[in-house]
Amino acid sequence: MKPRSCARRRRSPDAGGSRYVFAALLLAGSCLILTACGRARENAPPADWLRVEIETSPSTLDPRYATDVISSRIGELIYESLVKADSRGGFEGDLAQSVERSGPTRWIFHLRRDRRFSNGAAVTARDVKYTYDSVMAPASLSLKRGSLAALAQVEALDDATVCFTTKRPLAATLELATLGIIPAGTPAAGPRGLPPAGSGPFRLARFVRDQEVALDRNPWWTGSASPVAGIAFKVTPDAIVRALELIKGVGDFGENNIPPQMLSYLQVHASLRVSRFAGVGYQYLIFNFRDPRLRDLRVRRAIAMAIDRQAIVNSILARTARVATGMLAPENQAYEPDVMTYPYDPGAAERLLDEAGFKRSAGDRAGIRFTLVYKTTGDEERRNLAQAFQAMLAKVGIRLDVRTNEWATFYSDIQHGDFDIASLAWVGINDPHHYYTVFDSKMTPPRGSNRGYYSNAKMDELLERAEVEMDPQARRLIYGQVQKLAASDLPYVSLWWQDNVTVMNQRVRGFVPYPNGSWRSFATISVDGEPEASR
Amino acid sequence: MGSYIARRILALLPVSLGVVTLTFAVIHLTPGDPVVAMLGENAAPADVEEMRHAMGLDQSLPHQYLTFITRLARGDLGKSITSGASVTNLIIERFPATLELAGAALAVAVLLAGSLGFVASLRPGSGLDLGAMGFAVLGVSVPHLCLGPLLMIAFSLRLGWLPLSGRGGLSHLVLPAVTLGAGMAAIVARILRQSLVETKARDYMRTARGKGLSDHAALLRHGVRNAATPVITMLGLEVGGLLTGSIVIEQIFSWPGLGRLMLQAIGSRDYPLVEGCVLVFSLSYVLVNLVTDMLYALVDPRVRLG
Repeated sequence: MKPRSCARRRRSPDAGGSRYVFAALLLAGSCLILTACGRARENAPPADWLRVEIETSPSTLDPRYATDVISSRIGELIYESLVKADSRGGFEGDLAQSVERSGPTRWIFHLRRDRRFSNGAAVTARDVKYTYDSVMAPASLSLKRGSLAALAQVEALDDATVCFTTKRPLAATLELATLGIIPAGTPAAGPRGLPPAGSGPFRLARFVRDQEVALDRNPWWTGSASPVAGIAFKVTPDAIVRALELIKGVGDFGENNIPPQMLSYLQVHASLRVSRFAGVGYQYLIFNFRDPRLRDLRVRRAIAMAIDRQAIVNSILARTARVATGMLAPENQAYEPDVMTYPYDPGAAERLLDEAGFKRSAGDRAGIRFTLVYKTTGDEERRNLAQAFQAMLAKVGIRLDVRTNEWATFYSDIQHGDFDIASLAWVGINDPHHYYTVFDSKMTPPRGSNRGYYSNAKMDELLERAEVEMDPQARRLIYGQVQKLAASDLPYVSLWWQDNVTVMNQRVRGFVPYPNGSWRSFATISVDGEPEASR
Repeated sequence: MGSYIARRILALLPVSLGVVTLTFAVIHLTPGDPVVAMLGENAAPADVEEMRHAMGLDQSLPHQYLTFITRLARGDLGKSITSGASVTNLIIERFPATLELAGAALAVAVLLAGSLGFVASLRPGSGLDLGAMGFAVLGVSVPHLCLGPLLMIAFSLRLGWLPLSGRGGLSHLVLPAVTLGAGMAAIVARILRQSLVETKARDYMRTARGKGLSDHAALLRHGVRNAATPVITMLGLEVGGLLTGSIVIEQIFSWPGLGRLMLQAIGSRDYPLVEGCVLVFSLSYVLVNLVTDMLYALVDPRVRLG
């Protein structure tokens, strides 16, 4: 007998043993996966609910503390305010049926009498007073306390009448009346407390931080009942996963949270509808006026002309924006179209820089005139934009030293004026009074948001006049002048107005876009049948 | 053994002190202000000062550090600046999700690495070996950020077998665990294969075969245990990587674990919460190393700890 065959014969029982081990391992692994697959179900709400993909958890739903975009948008569905912003940058009644001015500093709001909170209690003037008092109290931890600083007191004249008294005549008083109203006596639980009842079309059913927010219908809502039984907001931090969930049909709706470059991929899926609507989100470059180079208007204008904004909109932003001429978009009733613009012209930019005395350095091969520190955040789109600005400014001899940081560090640098130039955005601008906060020379941090320390006596005079001008037509004329001055003096380089881009499942019907991105129409939206997933 | 463990647990104290001191220094010296994050940039200076005082942030850094350490010695991690909730409670709420993910990833890694390493070591240099090791290299080379979405597209979107994201039943755990465990599996598989190949050449293996055992049986009965020491070392080191790697995975798979909590805390400069999370992560790392050392004694009778 050959030793080889003997070895084979001896080996077989042991080899069988090892095979058993492998088989057991394989079986265990397969069982794990099969068990998992057997239960393979998304945590799906019922089919008659609208499922919305959101990128971050709301910080809080209590309207006294909510300031971030997601909290405010969800809050609008749970809470009503005295007035709410309309789609033209003005205001319309919400809890208030009518508003009248009874003196230079007194505003009277007459409440609707049919409104009830989701706990069944009627909404009265006492609730309005309580809500405002709890924000304005010195011990309040509310971020909104600063924005109500112009308010002297809120009185409940009777059950259905509220009086606002401002510390000085203030044309933008209605902006102070957009705070969501809660029932009187709701304890000041702090920003992370349990959200109180509201009188909006929906009420909170469930809130699991970092996972989901579920709203169902407010049983006491007196308006027409929402066609959807509820709305489930699912927190999905990763943009690619949000896109996949929309494709799979796990989510029905996503707004402004899919990267522009992915939109064409989503468009080919028959189950999805990608739409772009004019938005008022305003992107700009801010200059630090404490830097003597940037105080020179020729330098600011040269930078404005060296940036090809249309090229950036067409490429990096995949045509999801419009090149801006100022802070107010055409959708705003105070928009002024006749302002100075800065078309892309690197030749003219070079001439302006030469005139300003910043010649190209002869000793430097690249011919650098000077270097500016550009601060931005580290997300991908911001980094791409920084690279585009860097390349465009390099053409006219300005070297951009790009410093990227996470948001908190970036924001801290901007507040402390530790930048030469930076890119920022304003979202949801309604009243043109916003110009006062950002361009009046007295409104530097921490008083206001004039972060570039811009100072122009003519601008101050116009803005302070507009603050107290009660005649809407005259006020609009002043803000027209403000916009012209801002465009010629360039405290900001206007970049673009960001479109509102929605990705919706075809089963969603009746969505009405608002330029400020409001989700108010979720109250009238409907969903047809089971979610349809494309493969 | 008992005194060894006691000594190692005592050694946790200076390590923990080092970690919390470093974390305290880094987070406090990084620009950004929790009070501004809470009150906004337009808050009245008096309000800012009041809140600073209430939180003890108006004290000097050494004073804040001493307060922090004294509190920590009493087992109090403090309260979250942004939510006011107890840091301990927040961590207790979120850590199980991270442990579940890391545990599942470890199971996936051990299962995959064991199979790949063993198969590859059977015929070194053969097609099977090359295939298994090639697969392992692929596993370690593909970053989580790519592997996660790729697995989602394949197993959730196309095949519809598994959910895309979120935490729920076992089915929700499979994709994040495979994504997190794949890199570790690849490294451990290579170590195991190398160790097994070397072990097979040892005298005692020849003796085992001489006694009449087959190659596979000799390897399973005598080889695996002897080859296990470097693998256990690597597993111990990599489990730490699983915990920190879970931060990325939690973000991709919308997994509500400690990593996501920590990222948010860093963003809002919630000092006590960041310190608490880092402390938990680092203590877990140290504890895993302790367990690794104890495992040596179990697999190798020559090692007697203490």
